[in-house]
Amino acid sequence: MTGEKDPRNLMVVFSILKVVMMEWDISHYVELLFDSVYNYFPITFRPPPNDPYGITAQDLKDRLQDCLSSTSQLAPHTIPALLDKLDSTSPNVKKDALNALIACVHSYNPDTVSRYSITIWDVLKFEILNAQEEFLSESSLEALHGIGQRLSEGVTEISQDLPLAQYLRPITKECNEQLQEPQQKQAKPAQQILSALSSSSPVAFTLIVQTVVAPIFTIYQEADGIVKQRALLETLSVLFESAIKVFGQWTTRGSEASIENPLLEFKDQFSDVFGQALMGSAKEEVSFRVSALKGFLRLSTLRDFFQDNEVGLFVQYLDEILLKEESVGRDDLKKEAITALAEISKYKPRLIMDITFPAFVATLPDEDDDTNTTYLSTLDTLAKISVERDIFETLFRRLFSKLSVLLQKEQPGSVAYPRAILMTLLYVMDQRQMESDPNLDLYFDKIVVGLSRNVAEAASGNAKNQILADPSILDTLGRLCNLLVRSSSAQKQQQVAENVYSLFAAPADFLPVPFSQNTTADHERTIILSTYLLAGLSKDCSHNLPYTLPNMSDLLSDLVRRSLSESTEPATSLAFLRHLALLTNKFLSKQDLNIAEKLFDTLVSQEPQSLSPAAIRTIFWLAKSLVLRIAPTTTHILTSLLGLLSLPNQQTSISAARGFAILLGDDDVVSVVNGAQVRLLAKQRVFTTVIPLISSRIRDVNVAGNDDASQVAKTSDHIKPAHLTALAGILSTISTALVMPELPTLLPLLLQSLDLQTADSVAVRAATLDTLAVIIRDNGVAVIDQCGHVHSLVMRLLKTTEIKTVSGAVNTPRLRVDALKCLYLLATKQIVSEAAPNARAPASISPLLAEKTHVLRSLRYVLDDPKRDVRKAAVDASSAWLRGVDDAPEEED
Amino acid sequence: MAEVQNSNPTILNVADLPTRSRSTKKSGDYDYTSGIFAAVPNPADFLSSDSEDDDLLEEPIDEQEIFDLIKLISDPEHPLSLGELAVVSLPDISIKPTLPNVPSSPLQTVTVLITPTITHCSLATVIGLGVRVRLEQSLPPRFRMDVRIKEGTHSTGDEVNKQLGDKERVAAALENGALMQVIAKMMETCR
Repeated sequence: MTGEKDPRNLMVVFSILKVVMMEWDISHYVELLFDSVYNYFPITFRPPPNDPYGITAQDLKDRLQDCLSSTSQLAPHTIPALLDKLDSTSPNVKKDALNALIACVHSYNPDTVSRYSITIWDVLKFEILNAQEEFLSESSLEALHGIGQRLSEGVTEISQDLPLAQYLRPITKECNEQLQEPQQKQAKPAQQILSALSSSSPVAFTLIVQTVVAPIFTIYQEADGIVKQRALLETLSVLFESAIKVFGQWTTRGSEASIENPLLEFKDQFSDVFGQALMGSAKEEVSFRVSALKGFLRLSTLRDFFQDNEVGLFVQYLDEILLKEESVGRDDLKKEAITALAEISKYKPRLIMDITFPAFVATLPDEDDDTNTTYLSTLDTLAKISVERDIFETLFRRLFSKLSVLLQKEQPGSVAYPRAILMTLLYVMDQRQMESDPNLDLYFDKIVVGLSRNVAEAASGNAKNQILADPSILDTLGRLCNLLVRSSSAQKQQQVAENVYSLFAAPADFLPVPFSQNTTADHERTIILSTYLLAGLSKDCSHNLPYTLPNMSDLLSDLVRRSLSESTEPATSLAFLRHLALLTNKFLSKQDLNIAEKLFDTLVSQEPQSLSPAAIRTIFWLAKSLVLRIAPTTTHILTSLLGLLSLPNQQTSISAARGFAILLGDDDVVSVVNGAQVRLLAKQRVFTTVIPLISSRIRDVNVAGNDDASQVAKTSDHIKPAHLTALAGILSTISTALVMPELPTLLPLLLQSLDLQTADSVAVRAATLDTLAVIIRDNGVAVIDQCGHVHSLVMRLLKTTEIKTVSGAVNTPRLRVDALKCLYLLATKQIVSEAAPNARAPASISPLLAEKTHVLRSLRYVLDDPKRDVRKAAVDASSAWLRGVDDAPEEED
Repeated sequence: MAEVQNSNPTILNVADLPTRSRSTKKSGDYDYTSGIFAAVPNPADFLSSDSEDDDLLEEPIDEQEIFDLIKLISDPEHPLSLGELAVVSLPDISIKPTLPNVPSSPLQTVTVLITPTITHCSLATVIGLGVRVRLEQSLPPRFRMDVRIKEGTHSTGDEVNKQLGDKERVAAALENGALMQVIAKMMETCR
């Protein structure tokens, strides 16, 4: 069969032949049948355009491969033929041959596989040791692994006469030779070969360990350099990795392998060598020690290998590294040590609790006396290894008692320490599933109820010290409570709702903040905690909240009044704003929305001179809470906000412009996680409403500026920058997918933003460059070319990279780097990769070509920038332009 | 490449190559920017903009920066970088004023010594040229390049040095399409 060319027929023919070869006695026709199939190898079929039958080359390859691997009788023909094909120069043919070979290895019977095993090795060896393509070497390793598996089938006893042993003999010999100089390039493939074969079965693993490990130890003893020793440790680690695959880890379920782990014989030697390498070598040999650590870790997780005291020794080493050693370089060793302890905590939590915990907790001071902050790294480590349940419980008890002691002290030292303790607890709780933690009620009582009460005490001045009156402590404690309240039951949440302001304190001891007269700063600060508690509550608790009957009107007005005060501390004032936003966004019912809208209108329509920065912040937070749930008056709200920008008072207009970043910005409290109402279309709604308004307003200002020069311009100089700042604020908080449809309107505005020159505008320009970078990265040069702005964009970017400007513009290093990044992206994203292959763009000249000479010449001077990061970005940008921007478009294929 | 000349060179680990330690903090200081404490912003920070005090601090081009520029060039024979193969190394790079007698002159000379993996490597010239091209493209015009084979590491070192030092011959080589393609390939891995 040679003449058939139609893929439909071939699909059928291959299926039929497969049945024939599998079901009938074909011993007299082997060669005939083989030829009729193999004639088609390798398949070089390419479906016609608009292929009506949907048959791919892969379909044909799969069917052909099924035929070739259908019966062992074909082996004398198939295997030599496929191995011959590996001489081909085409990587694709080689790949097909290897895939077919793998299929044959898996389906022929073991005797047949054994007969050809060494021949196959001799050929594949070359592919692995002189790998041309990564995937060819990978497939070859897979084939060797497959042979190892097949030859291990049914083997229960280890002997050197096994077919498997004969197969492995030349392989281990080759690997041993290559590993004589383990730091050289060829050692890597030798490691891969060992890894592939030793992981194929326990028997293969044993045979390999018997012949490989002893020579490695010999080379190790005689090694003349640490580089060589390190390569050997890594080779051993490869074997440990295979051991884990074959024998499992401590937590692996299922039956154990029938054979004893051959590594046990070398256990003491391993322990000595790796322990010595880890603890006995010079502290600067970081990567050597890291290799030793990784090897030791693998052995510690290997099932039934080390005794607990031996793992314990390793844990002690790790403790010592973390607690006693000075940090070296990038601290790679310490990072690895923490990872290792976390890993061990999954298998042997007892050891961590018995050895690591006492050692670490003992180093924690009673208070921070500003001399020593090593407790931070200790807490960091404890947090990372305490995610397992039992360990976390211990961590909580130990840290909570530390904290309780601190709260009782007259002289508690710096608040950084209690804050770090709270953050440690927060970090670990955040990593765990607190909802299903059996100790949740305990944590709730101790932290949410207990510490809140203590906060109330501190606020009324009845506490031993003022730790709990510190804003940063209140913030961290708030986050912790927030997490716990969110995870708690509905019943507990109601309890919290009733105590949001009273903080679980008795009415005689503590007066809630809302509606209280003559408050002190300490007293008002408790609103920070109240806000976090409120944020954690579910929406259903709204009727349990105090002061909400008959409606929230009075409560909201009180909060607004407090937010407007200029004398409030920043942290407290932010908490008031968030609190206000939470109530309006999450708890205010639909029919009561007009309460908030009225508040907004009153605030906006005030006399412009009474619009203090605090008032503007309040306006924007209130607007945020309404816009996010798309209140019916959203358009009206947005127009009013934009109106603030055109006010004659420059100060008011600028602070209003900055407020636009608040509007859609992510907030830790008013967030989806906390159940805030954030409608999916809110961002789009804001963007599509605001952009046309900004655009037309700026056009008006430009035209007015041209018409009558001096008079009008003087009073409205700030209006254009204010609008551009507002734009930057909005752009920095929305995704570019929303931006793209408006690009023709938007691009001129962005270019005008880059024309701003003062130091005040740095943030605006930085945000603009960020937006531009994302636009270019996702959509390529084409979209900018379509708007016809390539030249103006490139010119402005180049101007932003200059350090000494004629016009006196202030370009900070960050701006220069960002502008260079945009230039780099322009050159690398000339063709958008996602473009459909059949929709090939007409071979046109790159729109960047006209700019190339100018860009390269300007960049030469940027290469001499005093800042290293700028120079780095300039190097990248100029080499991208040099290489990427060419007269002829890149040839495809 | 008809035949690989040195099929089994020694490889250095990337993590062991010299790098610039970013911050010059004292040992024992805890790094707030990584680790568990980074996730929670300090509420005191939320209004202040990040300070840019060190904007005025100048960072002159030094040997490490030159090394970073050339260490990622790939070897024409192996899929490995010149840094990994120890063809270029930090101690073999030096920067000196071109005109030591004129202190006000901004001109600087960069000297890079190349160590071929074997003494008869015919690709030494190409590697030298690649390093030269990379530096010329990446350094400002006030820098002069001097790329040479390290003494005693190559059998025909003097001849190669003559080629690399000859401005005319370098310029002529850069007009050679085939050669430029090899060099462009070497540069692909530079980031």
